[in-house]
Amino acid sequence: MITNCQLLIDTIGDAIFQLDRDGYILYANPAAVQLTGYSAEELFNQPFYILYSNNDDSIKLEYELGLALKRRKFVTGGWKKHKSGELFWSELTLCAIFENGKPIGFSGLLRDDSERKKAELELRESEERFRTMVEGVKEYAIFMLNPTGHIISWNDGAKRLKGYSANEIIGKHFSIFYTAEDLETKKPERELKIAIATGKYEEEGWRIKKNGSLFWANIVITALYNDQNKHIGFSKVTRDLTERKDNEEFLRQSEERYRALVEQLNDYGIFMLDEKGRIVSWNEGAKRISGYLAEEIIGKYFSIFYPEEELINGKPTHELKVAKAEGKYEEEGWRLRKDGTRFWASVVITAVYNNDGAHIGFSKVTRDLTERKESERALRESYERFRQLAGELKITNEELSYANQELEQFTSIVSHDLQEPVRTIKSFLQLIDMKLDQGQTEELKTYISKSIKAANRMRELIQNLLHYSQLAKNDVQVERLNVLDLVNEAIQNLKTAVENANADISIESDVEELEGDRVQLVQLIQNLLSNALKFTNNDHPQVTIRCREEDGHIKFSIADNGIGIAAADMGKVFEIFRRLHTKKDYPGTGIGLAICKKIVDRHRGRIWPESEPGKGTTFHFTLNEEASAT
Amino acid sequence: MRKYRIIIVENDEDEQLFMREGFDTAGLFQIITVLKNGDELFEWLAQHPLVLPDLILSDLNMPGKNGYDIITEIRSSAIYSAVPVIITSTSSTPVIIQKCLDKGAADYIVKPETFVEYVPYVERLYQRIEEKQLVK
Repeated sequence: MITNCQLLIDTIGDAIFQLDRDGYILYANPAAVQLTGYSAEELFNQPFYILYSNNDDSIKLEYELGLALKRRKFVTGGWKKHKSGELFWSELTLCAIFENGKPIGFSGLLRDDSERKKAELELRESEERFRTMVEGVKEYAIFMLNPTGHIISWNDGAKRLKGYSANEIIGKHFSIFYTAEDLETKKPERELKIAIATGKYEEEGWRIKKNGSLFWANIVITALYNDQNKHIGFSKVTRDLTERKDNEEFLRQSEERYRALVEQLNDYGIFMLDEKGRIVSWNEGAKRISGYLAEEIIGKYFSIFYPEEELINGKPTHELKVAKAEGKYEEEGWRLRKDGTRFWASVVITAVYNNDGAHIGFSKVTRDLTERKESERALRESYERFRQLAGELKITNEELSYANQELEQFTSIVSHDLQEPVRTIKSFLQLIDMKLDQGQTEELKTYISKSIKAANRMRELIQNLLHYSQLAKNDVQVERLNVLDLVNEAIQNLKTAVENANADISIESDVEELEGDRVQLVQLIQNLLSNALKFTNNDHPQVTIRCREEDGHIKFSIADNGIGIAAADMGKVFEIFRRLHTKKDYPGTGIGLAICKKIVDRHRGRIWPESEPGKGTTFHFTLNEEASAT
Repeated sequence: MRKYRIIIVENDEDEQLFMREGFDTAGLFQIITVLKNGDELFEWLAQHPLVLPDLILSDLNMPGKNGYDIITEIRSSAIYSAVPVIITSTSSTPVIIQKCLDKGAADYIVKPETFVEYVPYVERLYQRIEEKQLVK
């Protein structure tokens, strides 16, 4: 049939070699020359292993030839080497050649398989990648079913999810995952049918794990077809939604807890507004603070809490606008309760958005700070009170310091002014004694009269000091007094002095009655009148006593035509036991005006002199100034 | 022995008389003048610009400018601020003595118990001036 074998071999596309019994090349066809890069001559009588990837790999060749001899035919894929050294993948078929039952050599068919191998390698790589990926997926059980529904692959996720290892499950029917109920209704078969009919079956439902427990599964079964569009099985992807279901439950519980928390919060009014500002939720705190029940307030605009002036100012709208623009609005201000009373609120309005970022309204947190404000006010008041107390203390301190000063002056008076006359008297008595010892009598009379004068001065001092100290000790005995009676009593007390001075005293009074301590006021007028009579060179002293109401209080003025007071001395006149310098010596203790000052002080008034030296002095004093001021 | 030139300020005329006697008898001081209060003192000083006393001995309580006024005015005076002012009074109250020293008095000496005991007083005064070197 084959007429020209040689022609056939020469033209065949695959490389054909004839090897001798030891593997040396006896013949190589043109295709072999082309594939290997060697010429026919170069190949001739060379060991076949020169084409092997490892040079001189005689061992491998010997082994392969042995197998070919034994099995008559041996096929192997592997790298072969081109003359250039480049490797190529080829399939080698070695067949033993027998002659008369004896092996005489081998035929070798070498087919270049590089392209196919490359494609296969790529496929394998991609398949591997895919497999690795599928196998590595933990969250999803991904496995393959053959057309009858038996499991032919298994991934980590499937193992994790269902509890079976690959060994245990491969070959089993996938209905193993279904509940008895589902099995009864032949659900697994139905699912596969639907998958074939529609390409895909998807559902959520209960499935069983190896340990018998149920899990809520999301499954997708996809019918698989090969290149020839032949149905080769199914892929099945299963996801455990139990956790998601748990999450939903958790979310629901959390929401419930949160709602309960918010609703029961007492200290804060927390509620929601829709985007227009209408109240859509309400909590205990809001109820407590504002007085509205949930059913009364839900649906109302939140402006209901604002005082009228705020409404006119458009405050509520403004607040929402700011909250929306800046995310938040915060302030403190007055708000209204249901009963119309006000409370001082700290308010935070926050714009609320849903998951899609759409603005759905506002949350409003209100806190009643009235109590805090009250306590702040109480604190401030107590601070004020303390400041007032401190003020009073300061005044008391000043009074004490004044009292102390007076005590010091008193000490001074007692130690000096009272000692002085005693010392004078003692001195003259001693002198008298000395004179008598010496038998002299001429000056005794003078000494005695000086002693008497000193004794009188001492009595006067003691009386005045008693007066003065009485003033400090006794309370003011306030009674309604007739002004004329007061003045006349003072004049009466000074009757002798007035007559001796040949003085003219006139009284001008617009006021009939006043309130004060009779004894003290008589003393006051008497002292001023006494000074008016004393400090004068005038043979006919004129004294005018005026009393009138001025600026709501009573003012006395006692004017004389005496010697007057030097401007520099005006500030000293009220110092106790201060006696001013005068040309002539005037008797006195320096206590009179100090007493006047004290009496006026005790009657909440002022006393001050006006004077022109040589022309006369006017002493003014007022009474009950502070009382009339209030 | 140095004889200090002294101005005495005392309002009581009797006292003045006995003081003078005491000072004269002791012979330790030369009295420039005796005046009856601060007002007279400053008038006198104004009228005698060439006289600079070694010291001023002044009573405390007097009508017109008293001892305190004298201390203050002398201390703040450009001409007389170096002149020591010694206060003399019947009072031995520490508060009063301290007040005088605080205001700038060089010393404070309690007056003798009677006018007739001025000689020992003057001697004591001299001794204190020497001891404390009150006059520069």
